[in-house]
Amino acid sequence: MRIILLVLLFFSLSSQANEAPKPSISSKLSIKSMLLDIENVNDEFVIAVGSRGHILKINSKEQWQQMQSPVQSTLTAVDFVSATHGWAVGHDSVILHTSDGGITWQIQQYLPEQQKPLMDVAFKNKEEGIAIGAYGLFYRTTDGGNTWQREYHTSLLLEEDKQYLEELKREDEQAYLEERASILPHFNRIILDGVTTYMVGELGLIAKSNDFGKSWQRFEEIYHGSFYDLARTKQGNLIAVGLRGNSFRSVENGAPWQPVETGVTALLNNIIQSSTEQIFVLGNNGTLLISDDDGQTYQLVSQEDGKALLSGTEFKGQLFVASEVGLKVLQVIK
Amino acid sequence: MSVNSAIDRIEVSVFRHRGFVVALFALLTCFLVFQASQIRLDAAFTKNIPLNHEYMKTYLKHREQFGGANNVLISVCHQEGDIFNEEFFTALKGVHDQLFFIPGVNRTQVQSLFSPSTRFVEVVEDGFAGGPVVPADFQANEKGLATVKSNIEKAGIVGRIVADDYSCAMVKATLLENHPQTGEKLDSLALAQTLEQDVRKPFEKGNITVHIIGFTKMVGDVADGAKGVVTFFVVAIVITSIMVFLFSRSIALTVLPIACSLVAVVWQMGLLSSLGFGLDPMSILVPFLVFAIGVSHGVQMINAIGKRVAEGHSTKAAAQFSFRTLIIPGVAALLSDTVGFITLLSIDIGIIRELAITASLGVAVIIFTNLLLLPVVISYLDVSKHNQDKQKTTDNWSVMANFSKPGPAKLILLVTVILFTLGFYQSQNLKIGELHAGAPALHEHSRYNQDTFLITDRYAISVDYMSVIVETTDNACTDARVLETMDAFQWQMENVQGVQSAVSLASVMKVINAGYYEGNLKWRIISPNQYALAQALSNIPSSTGLLNNECSVMPVILFLADHKAETIERVVSKAKQAIAELNNDVVTFKLASGPIGVMAATNEAVEEAQLPMMLYVYGAVILLCLISFRSVRATISVVVPLYVVSTLAQWLMTVLDIGLTVSTLPVIALGVGIGVDYGIYILSTMSVKLREGYQLHEAYKQALYERGSAVLFTGITLAIGVSTWFFSDLKFQVDMGILLTFMFLVNMLAALTVLPAIACFLWKNQK
Repeated sequence: MRIILLVLLFFSLSSQANEAPKPSISSKLSIKSMLLDIENVNDEFVIAVGSRGHILKINSKEQWQQMQSPVQSTLTAVDFVSATHGWAVGHDSVILHTSDGGITWQIQQYLPEQQKPLMDVAFKNKEEGIAIGAYGLFYRTTDGGNTWQREYHTSLLLEEDKQYLEELKREDEQAYLEERASILPHFNRIILDGVTTYMVGELGLIAKSNDFGKSWQRFEEIYHGSFYDLARTKQGNLIAVGLRGNSFRSVENGAPWQPVETGVTALLNNIIQSSTEQIFVLGNNGTLLISDDDGQTYQLVSQEDGKALLSGTEFKGQLFVASEVGLKVLQVIK
Repeated sequence: MSVNSAIDRIEVSVFRHRGFVVALFALLTCFLVFQASQIRLDAAFTKNIPLNHEYMKTYLKHREQFGGANNVLISVCHQEGDIFNEEFFTALKGVHDQLFFIPGVNRTQVQSLFSPSTRFVEVVEDGFAGGPVVPADFQANEKGLATVKSNIEKAGIVGRIVADDYSCAMVKATLLENHPQTGEKLDSLALAQTLEQDVRKPFEKGNITVHIIGFTKMVGDVADGAKGVVTFFVVAIVITSIMVFLFSRSIALTVLPIACSLVAVVWQMGLLSSLGFGLDPMSILVPFLVFAIGVSHGVQMINAIGKRVAEGHSTKAAAQFSFRTLIIPGVAALLSDTVGFITLLSIDIGIIRELAITASLGVAVIIFTNLLLLPVVISYLDVSKHNQDKQKTTDNWSVMANFSKPGPAKLILLVTVILFTLGFYQSQNLKIGELHAGAPALHEHSRYNQDTFLITDRYAISVDYMSVIVETTDNACTDARVLETMDAFQWQMENVQGVQSAVSLASVMKVINAGYYEGNLKWRIISPNQYALAQALSNIPSSTGLLNNECSVMPVILFLADHKAETIERVVSKAKQAIAELNNDVVTFKLASGPIGVMAATNEAVEEAQLPMMLYVYGAVILLCLISFRSVRATISVVVPLYVVSTLAQWLMTVLDIGLTVSTLPVIALGVGIGVDYGIYILSTMSVKLREGYQLHEAYKQALYERGSAVLFTGITLAIGVSTWFFSDLKFQVDMGILLTFMFLVNMLAALTVLPAIACFLWKNQK
């Protein structure tokens, strides 16, 4: 609580005024402006979110419609647990909720003064969910998002940072609190894999939890750059991708990891597994990597426009992609 | 009558001292020939814009900082495949270096793959790495080209510096207002010549093509096209001479009016040059017009003299008599031409004002050369042996005179009313501004426009951009609210039909912010944090044109699909809406700089000028008619057909898709000014006859006998003169040619048909 007070005190000094959120503007270009996450909901429709609070719904006939969004904050992730219930998160630590299949959205959280974005959201069921974000931002709900509690997971700190914090705590309580608030790495993505939950992020973070994020166990560092996505393949192996085309693969549940040559240096954003057992890795600079052998080797299919591909989902036998220039539908699934 | 006695005095003194008059004219002509030979083609950017328009004040205020609208874009293309080969890079380097060293080019803003400011930045684990896109040790071998290719991708310059399909690369430069060494105003035409000779010519060979666009190149091409006018001038002189000969059947009476008209042209050019003006390519047609008007008045003169001589008078007496009968209608007609042109001064665009001065000067000169010099010179000749048999035409005139009888008159008026109603209705669709893509002065198939199309086609940028200037407080670019407001404006504008893309500090800051977070696009936002903004800002020098040094002025640059009038109008009106909504106590949006800002201002100035200009022109014509005829009825008979014809001309413009622009707006004034001549000549005879007690029908018949053939001939001569412009290399000359031809011919027809029909009803009860 004191941290939040401190944060509030600090930013009330800055010029930033705390204004009520403005609803997103409906525009015909929203389909062509940056989209950051996309999800196939029950094979019934696709939901995509992105810049300026845009929420788009695409029906089975590939017709799109912009939904009424109550914020203009850039939305970074979306997750549905059923055809009706879903959440979207984004900048200004915003959390939105829908219970009518994405037609209307309500604000569950909006904290612009915090100046921290949420990066991903994952729900186990209609009640229990986690939202993560920059500087170790971690929220949990057990009541479908009516209330969100902030959590701080010391176990996700690097060993040296833990020691540093303990020393600082003894010397200077104030500095300790400030440092503590921002020392955690950015959390980039949270992945639900049966009973296991994975989280990847900045500074080589790959962590695993067996109790839906209440306690975390960090993997040995295999790379000091950021990870952006992790997936368990159909054959049961783990793949992790991140900064500068780095990709790793583990056949033994997290250890050891083997680097996989991708041939690119672009940031890799997202891993998608198709019903046809293809693996697609999306990245910046129009990078699309396709693997037919469970992530051992990749074939590069660059998009000509060189625009970043952020997130993808299979829908009606095609790959629907949220990209820097809006929705793209790629015919790459066999 | 004091006017008559004044004319008497002039007549007597002029014809008594004929030798002196001729000598004086000869002397003046010699002097002005010399002066005219000094005249220069002169085109300056600022002459083309309404400097006092609100938008242009914004433009001028920030021109220094943001380079304004006077740019040169050179796209170097490889015909086969892409740019990654030695031939291309050698050519590109050559073009870059050539352009860099041309005086007048702002060297700090020359931008291409080879400029050190074209850098790429990439994210590595521990921060950023970057360098110039073309490394210092670049060699155009396979390895070097591959490096450049990947740097280009990282730098995100595809669409701006490199074509979307990698077939071309761009060299951009901004031009200075003044020559850096001499301090004189930059000579656009010389610069255009240099671009052609030193940049295009040496490098366009093999597979390389060089495409140059920008205002300077455009005026250069316009000036080249304008030189073709000399040919038309010669053609017009030849055709006119043949026509005059057919009319007069006398070599002397052919040569003299032509010569006197040429003297008028020389005087006009000489006077212009003496007054310190140059000849702008846009107004190069004026000498034509002066020549044609001169000839038409000359023909009235030889016609009058010929008729007198045929009646048995001596040539000298005939000349003297013609001088005194024609001086009043002639002066009235020419003065109304002059006034018509002078009204153009009310339009606050340099080039139109220059046209106004050039043209009114030229027409005023005709008063001396063709109303005074011509009869004096003719009086030395003996033209009696050139008597013509006009019996046949006289019969025709008798038939035509029936137009002033109630029956035919009713029919004529009915047709006129129908045409007028149609025309009036249709002319409401007249569009303001340019209706076609490319440089409007030039044809669509011209090299310049083809180059423009290529560049707009292959790059994401275009020359059709408008900068909306954001004025705010110092250091505002680290204020997230200011950037948010700009971003909101930009987004609203991006959604307007016709806006292809937009860029501003706000959108660039977003991209840079993502760069600070490893290039993760989830961070592509305007950071709410002032320190993060300050850090991002350190990557954007003011030379990018996105901010000034104090960070208090920032443009939002909108790239438009084209510069058609309706596109501009739509974007401007949407921008005004967005501005009204977004302006607050910190941020003020101001329209508008950039080529489209200039066009928007010009269009608005033209639109605003249209009504006052028409009021002044008609006001002047009405006033001059009232003075010379001292009759309201006569004035109505002259002015109504004129108005009908101008309305029909506007209809023609909508049919032919000609917009009301800087070059076509003057045509309406010119058309009315010159069109009134016919009516004045016809009515001047008619009103004399009416006063002498003739019936209207008889008076009109007499007027036709006396002036009909001259009027008919004049209309045709003028029309032929301007119709040679149909073949001009310049689109605006073609447009002007079409409109003037129409105005001359139809005004002439209206003066011979509608005028008597109206008169028939106005003088109905006169016995």
